[in-house]
Amino acid sequence: MRGQALFHDRAHPEIVFVSPISGVIDTITLGPRRSLSALVIRSETGQHEPDPVTMAMSSAAEVRAALLAQGFWPAFLTRPFGRIPAPDAQAEAIFVTTTPDNPHAPDPRVVLAEEQDVFAAGLKVLAFLTSGKVHVCQTPGTDLAAGLGDRIRGAFFLPGGASGLAGTHIHRLHPVGPGRSVWTIGYQDVWSIGKMVKTGFHDFTRVVAVAGPRARQPRLVRTIAGASLTELAGAEALPDPRGRPPCVLSGSATSGRRAAWLGRYHHQITLLDDNPARWEPPASSLVKWLRRESSRPAAMIPTAALERALDFGFPVIPFLRALSVGDAETASRLGCLEMVEEDLAAVSLACTSGADYGRMLRHVLDELAEDA
Amino acid sequence: MTGWLLDPHFKQQRGGWTPAGITLAQLIALAAPVGVSLAERGPAQIAVLITALVACLVWELAFALIRGRALSWHMATVALILTVLLPETVPLWQVAMAASFGVVFGELVFGGRGYGIVSGAAAAAGFLVFSFTGVGLAVASNAMALAVLPGALLLLWGGLMSWRVLVTVGVVLIAASLARDGADSLPLVLTTAVFGLVFLVADPVVAASTQLGRLVYGVLAGLLIVLFDTIEGPAIAPAAIVFACLLASLFAPLIDYLDVKLAVRRREARHG
Repeated sequence: MRGQALFHDRAHPEIVFVSPISGVIDTITLGPRRSLSALVIRSETGQHEPDPVTMAMSSAAEVRAALLAQGFWPAFLTRPFGRIPAPDAQAEAIFVTTTPDNPHAPDPRVVLAEEQDVFAAGLKVLAFLTSGKVHVCQTPGTDLAAGLGDRIRGAFFLPGGASGLAGTHIHRLHPVGPGRSVWTIGYQDVWSIGKMVKTGFHDFTRVVAVAGPRARQPRLVRTIAGASLTELAGAEALPDPRGRPPCVLSGSATSGRRAAWLGRYHHQITLLDDNPARWEPPASSLVKWLRRESSRPAAMIPTAALERALDFGFPVIPFLRALSVGDAETASRLGCLEMVEEDLAAVSLACTSGADYGRMLRHVLDELAEDA
Repeated sequence: MTGWLLDPHFKQQRGGWTPAGITLAQLIALAAPVGVSLAERGPAQIAVLITALVACLVWELAFALIRGRALSWHMATVALILTVLLPETVPLWQVAMAASFGVVFGELVFGGRGYGIVSGAAAAAGFLVFSFTGVGLAVASNAMALAVLPGALLLLWGGLMSWRVLVTVGVVLIAASLARDGADSLPLVLTTAVFGLVFLVADPVVAASTQLGRLVYGVLAGLLIVLFDTIEGPAIAPAAIVFACLLASLFAPLIDYLDVKLAVRRREARHG
């Protein structure tokens, strides 16, 4: 049944994950070390619609308990570390990411156009969770958070570069570090919370942008959180002349991941050509040997592009060097706690080394989280 | 180690420089100066060019084979820089020795370009001047200085060279020559220095890598050039630039380290 708890966090049983649709559990796949890898629900409409739930909205403790019980807690991510916060954790501020993080992402102003009151209801709920501010980060325009009291603040970021990423917002408005933590949440999750408050029903509808070179018609699609991307891509993708299926990314073309299901925090599906069309060298083994790809990251040449791609107000090259040798102390003192993988996607593309700095950052963050 | 590589699907959208692309840009930037040196110094210089190219590329191939890494062809640029720096009178076996020393002990033993701390071409030229008596480096002509300019603009435009280094070194040199010889000497100072500044001192790999650090590095390199300059008159000895480049690049990591310390201190002061 929609909104029914499916499973909960092992360390924190209060954090439950609920079903986005009504249906029947089809398969459960376990991953390495008996972690839950996939839980597939086959949709069945019309039979078991849930009863409306009234969210208790009077005190901070009640709001917290309601969000946990109704499965909205996993919508929050902490900075530093980019993890789901503990049920009793306190946020110094909450950042609502209402900015498109790349030119192909859906424009939040379009998505929320007719339902700003629902969004505003969700924002009011967030204000209960923090004693600090709720920053609603948005592109220039009418303030989506106008008239909601002085704790819910609109912040405006000009589009372009990394200005759509929560990491940039946090760096500008409320830098975090050891012992200082803020939470981030996506605007569509805030909308879902608002819908819950207003109607009493779970609504996990997501508006996602379908884009990429293999998209038949780049457009916005209304679907469900966790929807099957293979089904969606089948209808949306252009056929390939060589009959190859497209590479389906959940997320943007720079920071998404190959996936069969729409990611929890993603608002975008990118369809890429699976095998990059490359000039195939003649079969001579010498030519092949001279043109082969290195199996390891190449050297990092300090070009100006690196400094343009990462603007967190610290020396970029020494920071990347610290990440690539796993120097967690230097990286954290320079400010890596403000970032997650997506913040480094641009710099990974700009670097000569071909290294995935996002993965290196995660390695360093895991180490720092263990010490913290 | 393969785990750190970017997913090929992302890699294919990479818009930035690849190592081979950087090599290509440097080769293009070097084409005009090498052409000028060949035209000015005659067929003997072609022999120097070929010797340097063969020596450099053989070592790069050998190390790529041993280490199983892709070629960056960077050593070709080392050979071209050497061709411009060395006069045609140097015996070819000395050219081969110097080139081998420079690329192997300057760059390849550290893992190649981007891993080491000194410029291979500067190491080779320094080795040549130190080891063989009577060998001097070629002093740049006006035509050479003009030929460097388009390449320098290309490297600046591509972000492969920092203007901060160039400007600070230039300012120090101009100030020193104004103090010593007056304004008449300026053209000669710039003509003789510009090739070394662009292709040795301002190499992004050997220069400091922070914005403030680049200014400090530039000042240090400029002061060292003034200190090492042994030619009478306003012209700057190429050897002075070579040794100043080697010594300044040894200090670049220290400069970076200090600037990182400063950045951390600034951050702590701001955020507590």
